[in-house]
Amino acid sequence: MNKTKKKRIKKEAVWAYVFILVPLCTFTVFTIYPVISSIITSFQDYKPLGSEWVGLANYVSTFKSSLFYKALKNTAVYTVITVPIAILMSFIISVMILPFRKGIQSFFKGAFYLPAIASGVALSFVWKWIYDPLPSGLLNSLARVFGFSNQNWLGSSKTAMASLIIMAVFAGLGQNIIIYIAALLGIDPTYYEAADIDGATFLQKVRYVVWPLVKPTTVFLAITSVINGFQSFQTAYLMTGGGPDNATTMAGLLIFNRAFKYFEYGEACAQALLLAVIIAIFAIFQFKVSANDVEY
Amino acid sequence: MKKKMLALILSAAMAVSVLAGCGSGADTNTSSDASGTAAAEKENGDKKQETESASGKKDVVKALLPPVSATYQEKVMEYVDAFNAENPDIEIEVTTASWEDMTQKLDVQVNAGSPPDIAFVGSDGISKYLDLGMIIDLNDYLSDELSDFDDNVLNYFRNGDGTYGLPAYCEVQCIGGNKEKLEAAGIDWQNVQKNGWTYDEFREAIKKGVEADGGNTSCYGFVFACAGVTAKDYFSIFVKNADLPASFDKDLKYAYTSKNMLTFLEDLRALIDDGSMPKELSSVDAGKRWNMMLTGQTMITGKGLSSFERSAYNNNKLLEEGSADAVEGSVPVEYIVLPVPVFQGEQHALGAVDGYICLTGEKNPDPEHLKNVAKVAYFLASGDRAANTCQELYLSPVCESGREAYAKLDPIADKNQSNTACVELLTTQIAEARPDIPAELSAKAIKIEDEVIVPKFQGLLSGEVTPEEMYQAIVEAAHEAFGAEGCVAD
Amino acid sequence: MGLYRRYGTKDKYKEKARNTALALVLICLAVITLFPIYYMIISSFGAPTEAGGASYSLIPKSFSLDSYKFFFNYSKYSFRWILNSMLVAGIVTVCNVIFASLAGYAFAKLRFPGCQFFFFLLLVAMMIPYQVTQVPLYILVVNVLKLQDTYTALIAPTLVTCYNVFLAKQFFSSLPTSVIESAKIEGCSQPMTVWKIVMPLSKTVLAVMAITTFLGEWNTFFWPFLVCNSEKMQTIQVGLKNFSFANTTYFAPMMAGATISALPMFILFFSLQKYFLEGVTVGAVKG
Repeated sequence: MNKTKKKRIKKEAVWAYVFILVPLCTFTVFTIYPVISSIITSFQDYKPLGSEWVGLANYVSTFKSSLFYKALKNTAVYTVITVPIAILMSFIISVMILPFRKGIQSFFKGAFYLPAIASGVALSFVWKWIYDPLPSGLLNSLARVFGFSNQNWLGSSKTAMASLIIMAVFAGLGQNIIIYIAALLGIDPTYYEAADIDGATFLQKVRYVVWPLVKPTTVFLAITSVINGFQSFQTAYLMTGGGPDNATTMAGLLIFNRAFKYFEYGEACAQALLLAVIIAIFAIFQFKVSANDVEY
Repeated sequence: MKKKMLALILSAAMAVSVLAGCGSGADTNTSSDASGTAAAEKENGDKKQETESASGKKDVVKALLPPVSATYQEKVMEYVDAFNAENPDIEIEVTTASWEDMTQKLDVQVNAGSPPDIAFVGSDGISKYLDLGMIIDLNDYLSDELSDFDDNVLNYFRNGDGTYGLPAYCEVQCIGGNKEKLEAAGIDWQNVQKNGWTYDEFREAIKKGVEADGGNTSCYGFVFACAGVTAKDYFSIFVKNADLPASFDKDLKYAYTSKNMLTFLEDLRALIDDGSMPKELSSVDAGKRWNMMLTGQTMITGKGLSSFERSAYNNNKLLEEGSADAVEGSVPVEYIVLPVPVFQGEQHALGAVDGYICLTGEKNPDPEHLKNVAKVAYFLASGDRAANTCQELYLSPVCESGREAYAKLDPIADKNQSNTACVELLTTQIAEARPDIPAELSAKAIKIEDEVIVPKFQGLLSGEVTPEEMYQAIVEAAHEAFGAEGCVAD
Repeated sequence: MGLYRRYGTKDKYKEKARNTALALVLICLAVITLFPIYYMIISSFGAPTEAGGASYSLIPKSFSLDSYKFFFNYSKYSFRWILNSMLVAGIVTVCNVIFASLAGYAFAKLRFPGCQFFFFLLLVAMMIPYQVTQVPLYILVVNVLKLQDTYTALIAPTLVTCYNVFLAKQFFSSLPTSVIESAKIEGCSQPMTVWKIVMPLSKTVLAVMAITTFLGEWNTFFWPFLVCNSEKMQTIQVGLKNFSFANTTYFAPMMAGATISALPMFILFFSLQKYFLEGVTVGAVKG
C-alpha cells in the first residue's frame, strides 16, 4: 500500500514537471535571464561599451537619496489605498451583476471591461478634462452643484494623489470584475442551498459563503494589484509629472528616469531590485494573512 | 480493464491535445517561417549586397526619426529615395515614430549597445550620449559641410572641441498674444516686438488684460501651460531673461544659486497673486491653454511657437466658413509673437535647437561606414530638407544651403510679416551655446533641474512652496552637487 | 443563482424592484466607465484638420468619415498590420490557455519536489519592474538571438505569462480536491484528470484568461515597436502610432485610429462572451 502510494506520488511529480516544463523554459529564457542580468548590472557602473564593477556603490547612493524614500512612501500610499478600494468595489459590482439574465450580464461586463481597451491617449485626454482646474472642468462643475469650491485637482499636493488614485481605481475595475465574475459563476449552487436551509440572509451568504470561496481569487487580485501599484508610473508621468513638489513621484518614475533619462542603468537596477524586495515582503505578508483560513 | 482502456484512450487524447499545443508551438514556427521568408528575402538581399559588393558595397545607414514637422515623415521618405538613387553605395533605412516613442526606443537601444546610426534629438541631450562614449564627433568626417551652418546654432551641438550633431532648426520659444485683446488693453505690441519689455511693463500689461465680472474671471492676462513636466518650459524660457542665460556662469560656477533667482521666483509668483494668471496655473496643460487662447479666455499665452500663427489662422478660416470643426466656442484670433519680458540684464531668447546626431555601438567602428553616416546626416540637415522643415515650422533655416533653398519655395500665404521679423530678431538673441560646460557638470545640473527645480516650481505655482523655500532647496542641492565654492554666491 | 433570493410568483414585483435598483446603480457606474469610449468615438467623426487646441464638447457637432479615409489610405500594409496582430495575439492566447492552465494545475493540486520554489520563482519574476528587464530582454532577443523583425520575437516572451499561471493556480486551488481524488481512485491519469475534470469545471476562468490575454497582446505597443523595424512586420498598434499621430494636433484622425483598433476587440469580446456563457467546453477555446 505504502509502496503504491509512493509510486503514485512519484508519478504525480513526473506529470507535474511535464506540466510546468514549457512555462519554466520560457521563464528561464525570457524572465529569469533578464532578472539575473539586472542583478549583475546593479553592481556595475553600466556602460553599453564596457561596464565597471563598483560593488555596492549603486545601493549606497540609492539609500542616501531622500527622493528615493519619498518616492517609496508615495508609492506605498498609492498602492495601499488603491488596491483595497479597487478590489472591494469590483467585488461588490460583480455580486450586483449576478442576478441578471445572461444578456444583461454580458452588457455590464462589457461596459466595465471594454474601456480598458480604449486607447490610452483617449483615456488620459478625458481624465485631464475631468480634472480640468478651471471652473469649466467636468469635476469642478459637478463639485459646484454640490456646493464645493473650485479645486486644483492635479495641481495641488492636497488633491493630486487622491485624483490619481480615483483614476487608478476606475482603470483597474474592468479586469477585476470579469475575473471575480468567473469565480462567482464557479461556485457550486449547493453551497447556497445549504445556507438557505440554515436560514442565512443575503448578507450572511455573501460573508460566509461567497467571500471565503472566492478567496484565492481575491489573493490573486490583491497580489497582482500590489505588484502593479508598486510598479506604476505611467499615470503619474502623464498626469502630474510627479508634481507638485514631488507629491506624486513614484518609484517607477524614478527608476525609469535613472535608466533612460540619465543613463545610470546600474543604479536603476539597484533601485528596481530594492523595490522588488519590498513588493515581495508585501506579497508574503498577504499570503500569510490569507493562508490562515484558505484551506478547507 | 475497460476503464484502463478508456484511460489509455483518454490519455492518448490528452497527448494529442498536448501535441496540438505543440502544434500551435509549431504554428509559431510556421509563422516564423513566414517571417523566415522575410528573413530569407533579407538574406537574399544580403547576398545581393554581397554580389554587389564585388562591384560596390551597399552600406546601410539606419535612422530613427520623429515627426519633426507636420508632413516631415512623408517627405523624409521622398528625401531618402532621392538620396538612395543618387548614392548607389549607401542605403538609408528610416524608422519613424512619435517623439515620445522614438525617444524611448532610442534609449533602450542605446542602453542595449545597438543604437541606430542617426537619431534626431534635442541638443541638450548630447551630454548623456557623450558620457556613454557612443556619439560620433563629426569633425572627423565633415569639414566644409560644417561651415554651412550658423555658428551660434551649431555651437549647441558642440562640447569641448567636438561637434556632435547637425541642427535642423533653431526654434525660438517665447510667448504670444491675441492682437485684438492686446490693442484693447492699450499695448503697443509692435514696439514690444521690436524693443522688448521689462517685467514691470509686462506685469502692468497683463493686469489690464484681465476681464472679470464679480469673482469670475472670463479672460486672464497671461496663461502658460504648466501642467506636469511642462512646468519646466515656463521656468527655462523665462529664466533666460533673469540674467541667468545658462545654468553655469563663465567661470563654470552653478548660476542658479544667485540672488537673481530669488527675485525672479518672487516676480513670477506675483503674476499669479495679481490675478493676472489663473491660480490653478499649475495644472493647465498645453491643449487647455491653446483652447483658452482660441476661445478668448486669455490675452497672452505661452509657450508660444512661431507656428502657432498657422493654428490660429486655420481656426479663423473654419470660423469664417461657419464650419462645425472650428474649436468649440472659439473666436477669431490673430496670433502675435511676443518676446519674454526682461527681469534683469539683457534680453535673451530660448532657442530649442534640435537636430541629427550620429551614434555607434561599436568600440572600433568602421571609419568608412561613419563617413557615410555623417554624409547622410548632413544630407538630412541641409538644403531642401532644412528649407521645407523650417517653412512648416514658420522658422528661417539655420544653414546657408537651407536659406538658398528656402528662397526658392513658395512663400507662406497671409504670413504676418511683423511676426516673421520678430522671430528673426529673437533668433539672433538666443542664449549663447555653452560648449565649455563639461558633460559631467551639465549632467548634474540636469538632475537638479528635474529633481529639485521642476517639482519645487510646480509647488510654487500652486502656492504651496514659497519663493524662499524653493530658492533654499536649489541652494542646498547645488551645494551638495558642486560644493559651496562651485556655486555663485552674491 | 442561489445567492439571490427567489421570490414566488406573488412577490415577483419585489424581485423586479430589487433588480431595477441594482441596474440603476450599475448603469450609473457604467456611464462613467464608458464615457472615454463615447468620447473617443464621437471625436473620431471630426474632420482631419489641425486645430491644435483641445476641443471640449459632449455632443458631436459634425459627422464626417474623412478621418477614417485619411487612415485607410495611409499605408499599403494597413491590412497586414491587422493580420499580424491577429496572428500574434491568437497564438499567444492559445499557448497561454494551454500551458498556463497545465502549470496552474500542477502548482495547485500536485505534490512534487520544488513546487514551492518554482512557484516563488514565478512570483518574484513578476516583481522586478519591467523598466530594467526590458534592456537585457532586448539585448537577448535582438543582439544575441538576432530575432529582429520576426514573429518569434513578438510571440516568444509572452508565450506563457506568470500572471496567467498564477491566475490558473488560484482558481484550481478552489476546486474541491475530493473530485480530483476520486478521479484518481478511479484510475484516471493526470492528463485525463485535467481534461475531463479540471477544465470543464473552469471554463469561465479559461475564457477570462483567453480574453484578457488576447486583449493585452492586441494592445501591446512598446515591445513590437522595439523589435520590429520593417513596416511589414508591424502590429496594428505600432502602425497606428506611426501614422504621424504623434502630432496630437490631428485630433480626429488619432481618435479614428483608436476606434479602428478597438473595433475588432468589441466584436470579439461580445461574440466570445455569449459563447462562453452558453457553456461551451474548453475544446472550443483552443480552436
